[in-house]
Amino acid sequence: MIGLQHYLFVSAVLFALGVFGIFLNRKNVIIILMAIELILLSVNINFVAFSAYLGDLVGQVFAMFVLTVAAGEAAIGLAILVIYFRGRGTIAVDDINRMKG
Amino acid sequence: MASVAAGYLPILLFLGVALALSTAFVLLPMLVSKATGSSNPYADKLAEYECGFPAFEDSRAQFDVRFYLVAILFIIFDLEAAFLYPWAVSLGAIGFGGWLAMMIFLAELTLGFVYAWKKGALEWE
Amino acid sequence: MIQTIAFYLFATLVIASAALTIVARNPVHSVLWLILSFFNAAGLMVLVGAEFIAMLLVIVYVGAVAVLFLFVVMMLDIDFAELRAGYAQYLPFGVLLVLVLSAEMIFAVSAWSAGGIALSASVAPVPEGVPNIEALGTLIYTRYLFIFEGAGLVLLVAMIGAIVLTHRTRSGTRPQNVSQQVKRRPQDAVRKIDQPVGQGMDL
Repeated sequence: MIGLQHYLFVSAVLFALGVFGIFLNRKNVIIILMAIELILLSVNINFVAFSAYLGDLVGQVFAMFVLTVAAGEAAIGLAILVIYFRGRGTIAVDDINRMKG
Repeated sequence: MASVAAGYLPILLFLGVALALSTAFVLLPMLVSKATGSSNPYADKLAEYECGFPAFEDSRAQFDVRFYLVAILFIIFDLEAAFLYPWAVSLGAIGFGGWLAMMIFLAELTLGFVYAWKKGALEWE
Repeated sequence: MIQTIAFYLFATLVIASAALTIVARNPVHSVLWLILSFFNAAGLMVLVGAEFIAMLLVIVYVGAVAVLFLFVVMMLDIDFAELRAGYAQYLPFGVLLVLVLSAEMIFAVSAWSAGGIALSASVAPVPEGVPNIEALGTLIYTRYLFIFEGAGLVLLVAMIGAIVLTHRTRSGTRPQNVSQQVKRRPQDAVRKIDQPVGQGMDL
């Protein structure tokens, strides 16, 4: 029988993979944004698993709101990426520290 | 809990059948061509070309930024529609307050839609 | 039994495709692996009975967010080989960090298995005999009404922000003006003249 622990394990591995992706592709903002999506997905799996195994619906409600915020974050993040690319001709994140004011 | 998942068993079976069929359609011709000896790849055969010429550039064509704006608006309204489903099925239980809440929500997004319209984000040329 | 097999199938595919998302050389492949990952996560959620969240995951993530990522990858002319330059350099630190992180989390999960876990007070117990989507709707539009309106505001800000950031008014284009076209009458455009024979045309 599949227990809560199995779900927590999957979500932990997914979270670690997301963090690893951010470190691995430090220059490529697109992959970093995808890694953030993976992290949010692991959060959602956690919410839903706890909600199901503790018999409380609130986890699923909040998973919905996390989903909404994740979509907004992807939209704005990619918009920033697009205008950054338009100004610089590259998306290497190392240069963003020069962006002052 | 298990009963809900059990309702989705046909879909799982369907996915399994689809996966098996598509794998067969990809692998069988490869196996047959290996077995009959007609598989003979060489450099000229594998090279990509367009109309007899070697490819001039990357096959990844560039999009215009305006597609991006349309895609963003699509995401927003997709989520709006997703919130409408639970509202519609539970309308009897949530009463007037729930109805009013959804109307305010729709008004918020209509405001954004009017902004996009007036700003010309939906204009093509 | 089938549930157990399905869980292990989905879980393996989620983790494998997430790993391929972050190591794929081609960002288009990354996006496609991300889509597979979301699909299998939706499968995991169906297994515990969260049908609506699973549907939302497929519709919103696969249908919209992943497509948005694909758009951006296709839209920008980026030299992806150059961006992978520091790949090996960051690898050891990343591996170290991830090992520490996952060790911590797995310790935490194992520590939990020492004893049971239960809520002291259940806020919204799952009602019997009510479909998942209906129960969720009843909760969102009564108890979590203000958070719901806040989510609407987040969407509004995202929409306006994206338009402000990426929209440029183009000069030199000649957009179609529908109302002007509709308002145009025959007498503005056409003039009937009775042209006598043998004379020049006078406009």
